[in-house]
Amino acid sequence: MSRGDTVGIVGAGGFGTALAVALARAGRPVALYTRTPAVADAIARTRRCPRLPEVAIPDGVQVVQEPSALAAVARFLVVAVTSTDVTARLRELGASLDGSHLVVHAIGALAAPDDVRVSAVIAAQTPVLRAGVLAGPASPRDLAAGRFASMVIASAFDEVTREARRLLNLPPALRLYGTRDVVGVELASALAGAYTVALGLADGIDVGPGPRAVLVTRAVAEASRLGEALGGQARTFAGLAGLGNLLVRSGTEDDPDYALGRALARGEVVTDRLTEGARAAIAGMRLAQRAKVRMPLLDGLAAVLAGRATVADAARLAADTVAAEE
Amino acid sequence: MSSDRPVQEARGRLDGFNADRERVLREVERRVVERLVERAGRGGDDSLEYVLNDVAVSEIRRLEAGGKDAHRWRELAGRLGDLTQPQLVDELHKLLRYYGRDIVGNFDPRVYKFATKVLTPGLGLLFSPLASLRGGVHGLLSELDSRIQVEGPLDLLRSMAERGTLIVTPTHSSNMDSIVMGLALERAGLPPVTYGAGKNLFTNPFISFFMHNLGAYRVDRRLRFELYKDILKEYSTVLLESGYHSLFFPGGTRCRSNVIESQLKLGLLGTAVTAYRNSVAEGAPQRRIYVVPTTINYRLVLEAETLIEDYLAETGKNRYIITDDEFSRLGRIVEFVRKILVHEGAVVIRFGRPLDPLGHDVDDDGASIDRRGRSIDLRGYFQGADGAVRVDDQRDAEYTRLLGRRLAAAYPRESVFHATHAVSRVVYDLVCAQAGTRDIYRLTRLPPNREVALADVVRGLGALRTQLAAHPEAGRFHQRVESLGDQAVVDDAVRALGGYHKRPVLSRAGEQLIVGDLKLVFYYQNRLAHLGAAS
Repeated sequence: MSRGDTVGIVGAGGFGTALAVALARAGRPVALYTRTPAVADAIARTRRCPRLPEVAIPDGVQVVQEPSALAAVARFLVVAVTSTDVTARLRELGASLDGSHLVVHAIGALAAPDDVRVSAVIAAQTPVLRAGVLAGPASPRDLAAGRFASMVIASAFDEVTREARRLLNLPPALRLYGTRDVVGVELASALAGAYTVALGLADGIDVGPGPRAVLVTRAVAEASRLGEALGGQARTFAGLAGLGNLLVRSGTEDDPDYALGRALARGEVVTDRLTEGARAAIAGMRLAQRAKVRMPLLDGLAAVLAGRATVADAARLAADTVAAEE
Repeated sequence: MSSDRPVQEARGRLDGFNADRERVLREVERRVVERLVERAGRGGDDSLEYVLNDVAVSEIRRLEAGGKDAHRWRELAGRLGDLTQPQLVDELHKLLRYYGRDIVGNFDPRVYKFATKVLTPGLGLLFSPLASLRGGVHGLLSELDSRIQVEGPLDLLRSMAERGTLIVTPTHSSNMDSIVMGLALERAGLPPVTYGAGKNLFTNPFISFFMHNLGAYRVDRRLRFELYKDILKEYSTVLLESGYHSLFFPGGTRCRSNVIESQLKLGLLGTAVTAYRNSVAEGAPQRRIYVVPTTINYRLVLEAETLIEDYLAETGKNRYIITDDEFSRLGRIVEFVRKILVHEGAVVIRFGRPLDPLGHDVDDDGASIDRRGRSIDLRGYFQGADGAVRVDDQRDAEYTRLLGRRLAAAYPRESVFHATHAVSRVVYDLVCAQAGTRDIYRLTRLPPNREVALADVVRGLGALRTQLAAHPEAGRFHQRVESLGDQAVVDDAVRALGGYHKRPVLSRAGEQLIVGDLKLVFYYQNRLAHLGAAS
């Protein structure tokens, strides 16, 4: 297997595993990196990943546990770990990576604890310059089932976009669209998680299709304002990473962010309120305050998540502001 | 490219340039023609006919606008449609030779001789009122030299100059910069550099003299067509690959407003990445290139009046050539040297730590390091999926952007502020507060000779010191400012600003300071404009 043709996937979570499976089924060489011995063992014994147990992992997926082994077998890496782990993982990997690697991440959130975009973490923790971000409505299930899915690849380097397409395109199952708007895609993808929680709340109290549509369009509008203020392009938020992500996730019952919103709306006691989407809402509000951008929906959501407002308060507030804003 | 290149890990340098000149030109010609012919295969705007027509049309427009004969170009444009591909290639070669010679032409030893032997006595006479400058140009040189203060990691840079090729990248304030840099490099024990200078500068015989000594090549900014830019870039690339230390002004032209440049021109800067990529492709990654961020910090700027007038009249535009500025008058230069350079350290050249062509820091051994301080191998950055070096201009333009960002961050950090900058900043802040606006256009419409209280200026200076001390990334004050008390710094600035420009920029009347030229106060304070308002 040539190093240039092998896709290295960092993180054997739902998305990473599903992508590995989809690529391997198409005959592409894949190295799946996990640092958790239990996960590596489970895959070795059962060819199933505990994070996506319903899907069998083809033999073409090689599991690696050492950063140096991953760096040696693959030039092109997809980082698919949680936003809370990404800095530590990239720090470990950074010691083994070099200037020849291309790294794209598929993390739909800002990196903890400083709300920085993951591409900034790649720059700080690794010697890699050719980096990008992968985002969009491709759920692990769709990928694993070979259902039609599309994602967007954003990079300042056309080479990264070209390579991502060469290595990850699996027509008709997975198609990649390219853009140079890295800032926009990273923010759109992170904020989509936050608005997924908000849609969960709205659906939880049964707002109905009209208000729901208003919510979606206003979410895209306010996210675009923040994106532009931070150097992204407004239209990116109406694309796959923003609106596309939001539409698919807010229709998926077991999406953790959507589930969180619905549970809160029903008044259930939720122990883990800090999903990726909830973190993105809080991080997004901090960015909005720094950039002096008004984001009434996100503001209301952050208030509910922080326990500062009830769902009804937030809905009223958002409805009032929405009426005033358009 | 052949491996028998004359310049190895080179001291090489300008001494041997004349002997090497023909090879450099041939190489530039070969590469540009090869690239354009290959590109022409795509047809359309890339076809040779189109490239040649672009040159002809552009030259006709330029010459006829100046009332000159463009017959040669009309004739070329007229023939283009009938030429076969080999004939087009032949025309391309001719153009390459024509413009190539125009660029390097100034290394003619006869011109050099003329400048040294014939011009020197004349200049000596001009300078005769200055006893210390009786030695003519050389006397002036030594006088200038003692006034120039050089700072930075000089030992490190000297060792880098041995290990690889330096690109000195200074901020650009004045036409004096190239002269001053030449002296500063010598003073620092660093080798001379080659650099592109506007062709208009070569019309001043005094300056021309220095240009030749400094190894300048000519850049004709009136030539706007792509082919000329291609030639210039290729020329710079070949020089760097051959080990000739170079100097670029990444700001492009002299900074009109005197702010520290943050919008850098990446065209010529990009030749650093291209040259290094070529060396890697040739299997010579050890032929390193180091980019040295450098600031030139003048207590007073020779042509400040012209520059700020141009800025205020032309904000947003980019005029390359200003005629009739202070620089074109020899007397003004003499006056500059006499009045400005009477102070030790009136010009401070501060070198920063070198960067590699992709904008990485380098360690003391010249190896590139990443942001965690680990040494990295640059070869990988140029490799494609198969591990071979790939030519990818879009990738390299992105690398250059990273380099530009690092340079733009280094400039304020490595800047040195004189009393003139500090006091102008404080005075400007006070005037703005009085007038209730920071808008220079509105301020210049106010009645002239505004006054500020001396006590307020002294107090403001204290606050500015505290503010700058808290922001080392924004620069530092000159030792002289550091060593003097606030009142003495104000006196020093008033003396400097009151004594050189056409009218006193600042003057003292009892316990008040009178602002005689608000535009110049604005100009000098702009050096500190990146330091936001004190909180």
